[in-house]
Amino acid sequence: MAADPTKLKVAKDLGRPDILFALARRKGSEHVFVGGSDFKLYDVDLAAAKPEPKAVGEHLSYVTSAALAGDDLLVSGGYDCRLNWWNAATAKPVRSVEAHTKRIRMVVASPDGKLVASVADDMACKLWDAASGKLVRTLEGHEALTPSHFTSMLYAVCFSNDGKLLATGDKTGRVCVWNVADGKRLAQLEAPGMYTWDPKQRRHSIGGIRSLAFSPDGATLCVGGTGQIGNIDHLDAPARLEAFDWQAGKSKLVLSTDGKHKGLLEQLIFSPDGKWVVGAGGGTAGVIAFFDIKAGKVLFQDAAPMHVHALAMNETGDKLYAAGHNKLLVWTL
Amino acid sequence: MQNPSLNRRSFLGKSLGTTAAVAGAAAADMTLLNALAQPAVAAELKKQQKSVILLWLAGGASQLETFDPKPGRATGGPYRAIPTSVPGVHFSELMPKMAARFAKNTAVIRSLNTKIADHGGGATLMSLGRRDEPSVRYPDLGAVVARELARADATVPDYVSFYAQTEGRGSAVGQSGFLGARYLPMFLTDKSKPDNLERLAAVSDLDHKQRADLRDMLSKRFAEGRDNAAVGSHNQAYARVRGLMASDKLFDIEQESQKMRDRYGPTQFGQQALVARRLVEAGVPFVKVGRGWWDSHGENFETHLELVPELDHVMSTLLDDLAERGMLENTLVVTLSEFGRTPRINASLGRDHFASAWSTSLTGCGIRGGAVYGKTDEDGQKVVDGEINAAALFATIYEALGIDVTKEYHVGPRPIPIVDNFAGPVTEVLA
Repeated sequence: MAADPTKLKVAKDLGRPDILFALARRKGSEHVFVGGSDFKLYDVDLAAAKPEPKAVGEHLSYVTSAALAGDDLLVSGGYDCRLNWWNAATAKPVRSVEAHTKRIRMVVASPDGKLVASVADDMACKLWDAASGKLVRTLEGHEALTPSHFTSMLYAVCFSNDGKLLATGDKTGRVCVWNVADGKRLAQLEAPGMYTWDPKQRRHSIGGIRSLAFSPDGATLCVGGTGQIGNIDHLDAPARLEAFDWQAGKSKLVLSTDGKHKGLLEQLIFSPDGKWVVGAGGGTAGVIAFFDIKAGKVLFQDAAPMHVHALAMNETGDKLYAAGHNKLLVWTL
Repeated sequence: MQNPSLNRRSFLGKSLGTTAAVAGAAAADMTLLNALAQPAVAAELKKQQKSVILLWLAGGASQLETFDPKPGRATGGPYRAIPTSVPGVHFSELMPKMAARFAKNTAVIRSLNTKIADHGGGATLMSLGRRDEPSVRYPDLGAVVARELARADATVPDYVSFYAQTEGRGSAVGQSGFLGARYLPMFLTDKSKPDNLERLAAVSDLDHKQRADLRDMLSKRFAEGRDNAAVGSHNQAYARVRGLMASDKLFDIEQESQKMRDRYGPTQFGQQALVARRLVEAGVPFVKVGRGWWDSHGENFETHLELVPELDHVMSTLLDDLAERGMLENTLVVTLSEFGRTPRINASLGRDHFASAWSTSLTGCGIRGGAVYGKTDEDGQKVVDGEINAAALFATIYEALGIDVTKEYHVGPRPIPIVDNFAGPVTEVLA
């Protein structure tokens, strides 16, 4: 039976003492690796009646992201600027690389598991050979400073389903699309609605592109974050998705959650059939929303039990795994 | 109860030596200000002119992301602690420049417990050094410093306050209270330069000067044989006009080299800090530069990632600049907020208002470089050693500047101690 977003239901809810930012799911299983504010990575078997997280290893600061390259290579990144490789089966460390000069924000693996991409506040996207850990290429196209002369951040990265394209998104709303094979920049898009610079009331900024997802056919690129915020003391705007025809360099549509569901979309994932894209995140409260890009509407939105920082989906698209503020969660659709 | 004129005499004795002390002994309060206008006294004072630059981190900066990091704790956040130039003392990694300079001239107090955690109340407390009360209109820090350190012959403003952001502006407006309107700040908001200081275009400079000379001659003739403070005050007020007009250039950073402007950086905070240095150099005793808004209920770490490096850069540049000009030993640079931020990280990755255990820094005039006073627990939840309140901090500031902390003002018959409840200074951070 096809997944139905309107039947979203919490199937498992595990309380955590820490804030989870990283989540990687082993394909075809209920095993997830999570990491977060206690600097550690854990292996959690969500199929167990009472899942007991097992420590895999640790970073020197917050673990911000993790990805599985193939079945057995787990790569994690953190605020310590390091990428750590782990054997996911044995939970043994493989290597540790001082990958960036500033904080690593996101790590993703290519669909074939051969490459790993990392983005960091040094505004570089780095492509790594997953097996050897060698740097393949550095992609640079994001400005180091915002227009107001403050340091920018490079928050988000994603591969296309065929692994040929890579997209990166920064704080000011700039998106770059790259050709993975040669590192050539194919497109530069702007989503300034994701970034609020307040020059008058508070004189700083908030927001930025926090999530990216290509449609299964690679033609549409979705960008996630939050809308323009009046009071930037809080994440006080509806969650926002913008979809681009990236080859034409055009924004196709902007969709937002309603006024009850606010905050950032921290992760976007297309359903396997491409009929909808799910985004999750939040502000003070959590938010989850399903968007129909073709119809140009929000299919379903709800409060998540916590601010979600990372999301994964099973192969059939009827189960979601979420890591966030003091919780690890499983939803069924 | 202390006699205020005796306190003033005491201050003058410390500051100026016998000449001024004799002048002080002979004078009532207002006429003593006139005595300070005497050339010999004024020249001596000018040499010793002390000033304050207050970097006001409006909205409440986080102590954990600045001067009191707790790395590795659940409350610590993602940023590392880095060693300062004092062994064993660490700052947040967001402050590498100040960490490198710490031993030279800066002291940190990590044990403020000021109890008031709303913006308005906290800003009032940390501006006045005491709780406000309906029966007395107290002067704020800037007004007191201006009152105690301004020269009677000053041709520059006594107290200048920059506050560009609109949030919290109501709490940022200066208050001279019972000290009177002279010590109200020149309050600048959206511009870094005051309006209406320029001479009217229709009046040439020569014409303006000649008019002033004529007025001065007639006034002096009128004052001959009239021993009247009001007449003297009138003349002083007019004498300040040309000085204040001339101070127009003090607010103009175009007067600085491009290299100097580049050092401070392109942000408004940097530019205003440069103006602050220019003002202090010209003899302004108190300049407040408000930088906001640090109220990071959501995205605390992103907000501080933006604001702390700016503070680190601007503050370290300001200190270097003052030191290179030989001014730092007579200029006290203070960082202060209305409160700090909660150790607990909320669901929005924010930190909320927290007045129970937070930090401030003091640099330069009268300060022992590299000193750390007070201690919070391992999670930063409470002060475990050296707890102080706002009054003790103000006493420390006054003591560093050579202002008698036992002094009292009088509002009618009521004595008002300059420091609330006669709190004593934190001597451990004083040179």
